[in-house]
Amino acid sequence: MTKKVLIGLGNLLMTDEGIGVRVIQELTRTERIPSDIEALDLGPGGLTVLHAIADMDEVIFVDCAFMGEEPGTLKRFRAEDVQTVKVQARQSAHEGDLFETLELAKRVGQCPENIVVFGIQPEIVELGADLSTTLQAQLASYVDAVAAELNFPSEN
Amino acid sequence: MSKTLDIKVNHVTRVEGHGNIRVRAKDGTIEKLEWQVPEAPRFFEAMVRGRKYEDIQTIVSRICGICSVTHSLAAIKAIERAMDIPVTDQTDRLRILAHYGEQLESHILHVGYLVAPDLLGQKSVVPVASSHPEVVQTVIALHRLGNLMMEVLTGRKTHPVRLVPGGFSMLPSAKELRMLKQELQDSVPKLTALAEVIASLAGGIPNFTRETEYVALVNEPSYPFYHGQIGSTDASELASVQDFESVVNEYVISQSTAKWAKWHRESYMVGSLARFNLNAEYLAPLAKQTAAMLGLEKGCYNPYMNSVVQVVESVQVVERSIELIDEILTVGLRVERPDVKVRAGVGAAAVEAPRGILFHRYEFDDKGECVSANMSIPTNQNHGNIQKDFEALVPSIIDRPQDEIRQVMEMLVRAYDPCISCSTHYLDVEFV
Repeated sequence: MTKKVLIGLGNLLMTDEGIGVRVIQELTRTERIPSDIEALDLGPGGLTVLHAIADMDEVIFVDCAFMGEEPGTLKRFRAEDVQTVKVQARQSAHEGDLFETLELAKRVGQCPENIVVFGIQPEIVELGADLSTTLQAQLASYVDAVAAELNFPSEN
Repeated sequence: MSKTLDIKVNHVTRVEGHGNIRVRAKDGTIEKLEWQVPEAPRFFEAMVRGRKYEDIQTIVSRICGICSVTHSLAAIKAIERAMDIPVTDQTDRLRILAHYGEQLESHILHVGYLVAPDLLGQKSVVPVASSHPEVVQTVIALHRLGNLMMEVLTGRKTHPVRLVPGGFSMLPSAKELRMLKQELQDSVPKLTALAEVIASLAGGIPNFTRETEYVALVNEPSYPFYHGQIGSTDASELASVQDFESVVNEYVISQSTAKWAKWHRESYMVGSLARFNLNAEYLAPLAKQTAAMLGLEKGCYNPYMNSVVQVVESVQVVERSIELIDEILTVGLRVERPDVKVRAGVGAAAVEAPRGILFHRYEFDDKGECVSANMSIPTNQNHGNIQKDFEALVPSIIDRPQDEIRQVMEMLVRAYDPCISCSTHYLDVEFV
């Protein structure tokens, strides 16, 4: 059987940055996660992501993503469709880039082949416990999009 | 000397919370030398005002993805103090075990992700995975163990859900604790291997010393992360955690929007090196042996060695965790209900975050709603000390090439293992 994991990433105290976690919380609350899929809120993620995906066949991420789109836009893409342009200060272990973690996972032979990302373009990323009104208004549609993905059979 | 320097390490937009390094020298004279730290408003304190006491630890656990157990425990201890909530020995031991898991995870992440690449001359851990795969595999395995400890004890890999005022909302099983003990025992050779790697690379650690004041929890005869009062290498008496504001003495400085701290002298240092300089004699046997192997002795004044002490502390928490699990299993796990009687009160608490002592204070009204909060995070306490280190360091290396000076300064900042808000984990991508 294909082993699948759904991972929401983000910091709930940083407005739209927490969107990935909000989507997972909402899917869990409305019981829309199939029993054969593990759904994880991994907060800001980092190296913990590597452990969560190590022995999986498929991974679906939901995360805040700067993609040059209008705020609130959701895009479904594969890891290989993008290149990261993220600049890191590298002063602390507190920042991270999912794509760097995935590259590390590849190099140590622990990266699943099939990785889908739902990126949601933020409107506001700053300290704050609530989503922007733009993302809040579309939260239900993000949850629907991810729920639809969970019911799709594997593309392989 | 005709050295002219212009170093600006400014972080572009979207990299919140990080500091800027600014050096300007003309004809060998330093005109400007600053560690500039932007800090967001003290929003977290406002965020918990008006919230019920039982929601506080959940909110503060989200401040930081790496120190989430530490923030939760600081809040819970302060709440227990404010409302006089009793805590059993079993709760104490299980919390310390969870907290050890976080120390291990954080230290290994810092040493593996930021320090090892510096010492191996790489920009990040990714190329190290190809050049030194065995080192990266060890780092990943040890980090996974820290994660596992937190998951077993707190119910989640990050952001604990079972830690509550008065105890636990759910206990781990004896079987899970036995499994954890086995994993901890199996990790010892990996820790030793990591310590040997760091020892072999120690020649790359800058040889810079500047004695300062070191501040950490002290609770003789132990090497504490969770219990104790506030100790300083500049004071013979301990200060009460309930008076932590008189230790931190926060003040405002023009070059930084973050507040700085000073106690007996112009700045102090918190973190692994501070804990070691105050409590080294109480390390467990293998941790003591590891410290000796790494050339560490109490009274070490090289701030770069903070990262090396993190390796020693990783051994320490694994050794103590094995003992703690034995103690818990010998007594036997009992289901205990938190005994909370909501009342008005004020309480403060201190817990050692991986990167230094963390203080929380809360005041509650008679309905258990938070009236006020105050937090003092370790990184803010360290900022003044980083500046003072820069002032001693840069004149001693001013004849070196500009890029090398910048690198040595950046390594110093990294050595303090700064904690910034975990706000920079979003994706930033271009479609190809």
